Amino acid sequence: MNINTITILGANGIMGCNIAGIFASFGKAKVYLICRTLNKSNEAIEKACQSVRSESIKSKMIPMTYNDLKKCISDSDLVFESLSEDINIKINMYQKIIPYLKENTIIATGTSGLSIKDLSNVFKDKKDNFFGIHLFNPPYNLTLCELITHNKQQKEKADELKKYLQKKLNRTVVEIKDSPSFLGNRIGFFFINETMKLAEKHQDQGGIDYIDSIFGGFTGRSMPPLKTADFVGLDVHKAIVDYIYENTQDNYNSSFIVTQYLKKLVEKGFLGRKAGHGLYYKDNNTGLTYVYDIKGENYRVKNDYNFYFANEMIKYIKIGDYKKAFNILLDDECIEARICKELLLKYITYSLKISNEVSSDISSCDDAMATGFSWIPPIALIEVLGGKEKVKEKVKQYLSKDYFDILNNDDIYNNIPKKSKYDYRSFLKGKY
Amino acid sequence: MDKVYILGGAQTDYSRNWSKEGKNVLALLRENIFDALDNVGLTRKDIIELNKENKIALFVGNFIAENYINQGHLGALLTEVDPCFFGVPSARFEAACASGSVAIDAACSKIKDKTYDIAIVIGWEIMKSVDSKTGGKFLGKAAYYETEGKNIEFPFPKLFAKLADETIRKYDLSEKRYMDALSKISYINYSNASRNPLAQTRNWYMDELQTRQRGTETNPIIGGKLALTDCSQVTDGAATVILCSEKYKKKNGLTNKPIIKGFGHRVAPMTFNKKIENAKEEKYILPWTRQAILDAYKRANLVVDDIDVFETHDCFTSSEYVAISCFGITEPGKEYKAIEQGIIDFDGKYPINPSGGLIGCGHPVGSSGVRMILDLYKQVTNQAYGYQIKNAKNGLMLNIGGSATTNYCYIVGIE
Repeated sequence: MNINTITILGANGIMGCNIAGIFASFGKAKVYLICRTLNKSNEAIEKACQSVRSESIKSKMIPMTYNDLKKCISDSDLVFESLSEDINIKINMYQKIIPYLKENTIIATGTSGLSIKDLSNVFKDKKDNFFGIHLFNPPYNLTLCELITHNKQQKEKADELKKYLQKKLNRTVVEIKDSPSFLGNRIGFFFINETMKLAEKHQDQGGIDYIDSIFGGFTGRSMPPLKTADFVGLDVHKAIVDYIYENTQDNYNSSFIVTQYLKKLVEKGFLGRKAGHGLYYKDNNTGLTYVYDIKGENYRVKNDYNFYFANEMIKYIKIGDYKKAFNILLDDECIEARICKELLLKYITYSLKISNEVSSDISSCDDAMATGFSWIPPIALIEVLGGKEKVKEKVKQYLSKDYFDILNNDDIYNNIPKKSKYDYRSFLKGKY
Repeated sequence: MDKVYILGGAQTDYSRNWSKEGKNVLALLRENIFDALDNVGLTRKDIIELNKENKIALFVGNFIAENYINQGHLGALLTEVDPCFFGVPSARFEAACASGSVAIDAACSKIKDKTYDIAIVIGWEIMKSVDSKTGGKFLGKAAYYETEGKNIEFPFPKLFAKLADETIRKYDLSEKRYMDALSKISYINYSNASRNPLAQTRNWYMDELQTRQRGTETNPIIGGKLALTDCSQVTDGAATVILCSEKYKKKNGLTNKPIIKGFGHRVAPMTFNKKIENAKEEKYILPWTRQAILDAYKRANLVVDDIDVFETHDCFTSSEYVAISCFGITEPGKEYKAIEQGIIDFDGKYPINPSGGLIGCGHPVGSSGVRMILDLYKQVTNQAYGYQIKNAKNGLMLNIGGSATTNYCYIVGIE
């Protein structure tokens, strides 16, 4: 696939400019960055250079505005739309570009969850050229790329596009069926929303900071899940889980119910890091971190929780004895260890189920979580827990039948590889 | 004298930051040493058995853990990794960035004189425990501290920038041609690293223009003429290689194991000015580096044309530049020709650093010598996968300490 010229619609957004950087650098393409004003386009070019740490790509990027659609679109081999997550705004823009599209120009949307099929209809006879290309932020560090098709006729083009994304753009590509929030976000927000629900349930123990301490770095992530939600933005979190809740009907759907306190925070505009306040906030004068206390409905100084099982796990992870660390978790029956292992087991089983549903390769969940979230991927987690037989036994012991049924499905269970593509060791952090 | 065979080994992923992972040195050593033992099929039990007969020993290469992580006595430290190392002879060897090579040399001696059957050589450094300025100060101790390190910010980039200046002067080179050659060296190393699944920069973006645009925001000048893209990386990592005697090889029916065919070890005057003074009348700007390579060729009974792959010490682009003539690829002063003509490219006649070298693969200083010999092992046994040089039979490595003060060369090949 020859992709030499690209137009980015909505290049001033965080994803827009970062993606422009990826196309101009690894893709070696000429990139038109379209924003509302030239000033914004020029700023986006600066940000794109910074995002790949290379000023050498500057000359490949051309600042443009929406007045230049005709020139840019008619010259492009690929048009990447990175507008806000509003189906009407997107379709409105698609109608404007349709007259200028070349016969074989690929049109891609960066949507993180809207239906690709619904969006594709406006392109009529060119709809087979329309794909979802969902990247993660920042794409220079997170290489996951979900390639979403909406129709079987796209197979040949999708194969070529996949090759381009893999070989040229250096992406970890997973092919995903058109489904709510695709793969990475479906699993990631399942996990995060489960921790939000746990925080609500355990508000008497402290809630948010209590739960984050149970799922710290020692469980295979760089940042605890609720802190991650603050980084993502609580409004974005709510939009994604609401969307999945409304658009899926399975036994696990209740995991996406939004908690009352999240609704309240979003209504108040406490949207997380970008708003200064969210589940946490940092007082820059005192250096203290405050956390939203669900029970008291106010902010209080964050607690430093210490759990025996977590301290022991951290002790062993610190010296690289990972199996021992996880045996401690499995053997400990205190309430916090129970909360921890139950959700880790849910994460594994739910990931396998969704991966099996939306991808042709069950290992896709490992690509998604390792390269889209930097979390320990599910199959790698099975390895450190002692293999799939042991995990099945633990799922039976700790989780409801709904989850055990997933592993009882031979289609899933028999296809779990013995080893993940990813080495679990680097994901496990010797800290909370 | 007995032959020294290479059984195999392992390298950690050089993109990892062990401090950020909340792990200490024991995790680094445990992962690396047991990955290496798995690679050669040795178990804890084997080690205990070999040690009963006093036939196994550990050799540790490390420059300056005392500064980076407040840890000394690094040979003994391995007993904290696993009880199977209780009682096993173990010691640390140091020669700045050539520490890994001295450890290999010590191990070879003990195999050659039939003292031990198995030698486990582990080279490591944890460097991301401190910020880059502090790290620069520690590394300055590889020079003569009193005059070349004390109160100087980033002393080593400055010393190797002097080497760049002196190379231009000595051979009367066009500055542009020389700097473009350095840029290409950097670009080749980054490109090669993108094929190496353990290289620190494997997912970074780099193009030739970026390496030529020095003094920009994303490619600032670090010392003299050298910019960020001319420098090797600050890296955490370990590499282990396991050597064995001919007796062990025969007893266990092992085949296709390469041998260390030759070595060279020469030490030049420590201070940079004395080095240059010492080389005034010489053809080579680093005559002792050249001599170490000549010694290795002689011991291996090989010449440059017999070498299919090189791993060199590109701590800075200026050091790889001078190594090209030291290897015998060009006459001294004509190195730019090999670079311009693609001779040192991945698919060139004399490929240098298919691993990505210190610039692309990374440079945990005490680990680098061991990592290089491990890469040669992978190349000559056709196990370098994505960065395999076709039909590589013999490989040569150059590992230097200080400003090309300690010079170590090894040639590895199929018998």
